[in-house]
Amino acid sequence: MLDAFSRSVVSADAKTAPVGGSDLVGLRSYVQNGNKRLDAVNAITSNASCIVSDAVTGMICENTGLIQAGGNCYPNRRMAACLRDGEIVLRYISYALLAGDASVLDDRCLNGLKETYIALGVPTQSAARAVAIMKAAATALIGETNSPASGGKRFRKMDTTQGDCSALVAEAGAYFDRVIGAVS
Amino acid sequence: MKSVVTTVVTAADAAGRFPSQNDLEAVQGNIQRAAARLEAAEKLAAGLDKVTREAGDACFNKYAYLKQPGEAGDSQVKVDKCYRDLGHYLRLINYCLVVGGTGPLDEWGIAGAREVYRSLGLPTGPYVEALIYTRDRACSPRDMSPQALNEYKSYLDYLINALS
Repeated sequence: MLDAFSRSVVSADAKTAPVGGSDLVGLRSYVQNGNKRLDAVNAITSNASCIVSDAVTGMICENTGLIQAGGNCYPNRRMAACLRDGEIVLRYISYALLAGDASVLDDRCLNGLKETYIALGVPTQSAARAVAIMKAAATALIGETNSPASGGKRFRKMDTTQGDCSALVAEAGAYFDRVIGAVS
Repeated sequence: MKSVVTTVVTAADAAGRFPSQNDLEAVQGNIQRAAARLEAAEKLAAGLDKVTREAGDACFNKYAYLKQPGEAGDSQVKVDKCYRDLGHYLRLINYCLVVGGTGPLDEWGIAGAREVYRSLGLPTGPYVEALIYTRDRACSPRDMSPQALNEYKSYLDYLINALS
């Protein structure tokens, strides 16, 4: 498993060169925006169960066949498995966001996930849709762009210092896209 | 690669939980010290060749017999390899400063070093001497800020202890 720092070390080692000068620019920005990053991770972890249940609910609302007899979220046992998987994916994305590198997500979550889903008969299209909804919710929470209109009864805004977190929103979004790409 | 972040993530993953407040605080502590580490890494990277040269010269000055026939540095090729090794060690220290942990030194420098040196018949004493010279030669504020120097020297000490 790598983080942003060890990633730069591994690529420098491949060239037997020290890490210096321009390589350090990205790492300095990680350090400078460290608090923002921790707030972003916190935005995901604090709202994890809401993000996950909302995504699975949304996925089913768009495709109600999933909870009818023979659907992949019927009976409760399989619905529970679906919620569990959503939480696992979100958890690995939170690790990747904390580390600033996707290696933990790739190695421990995505490697073989598509093959497993195909073998188990899980519809990967629906899985990708649930992840896409999680992406929308998580990036809205990180960037504080969510509104009461889209949040409904469970609207929540994180009480963090206002600032520009577009880079982190983009980074978190990229991890969700990575999951979508890996399963579809 | 062992670092504060990967340690925290490994522990959280083993327990199957999201990163907790404790984890975030641990990472925050690491980030607070990172500026000094990165400064030391940058300065070391910029002067790596010079530092290597000085360290090797110090070692061959102190142990001049190493260049005699039958010793570890009896040909220019072997002498060059000593300098190369010192360069590698200093590069690994640069990596440790970037990562903020001893992972690179442990995995790429120290693991198996004893066996390799023994099988090649190389003495580790001269390496230690060269690294001690490097440690004592570095000073603040000429080379880097005091906190950066502290980080740099602590990794040199770690390596010295491992080779001693």
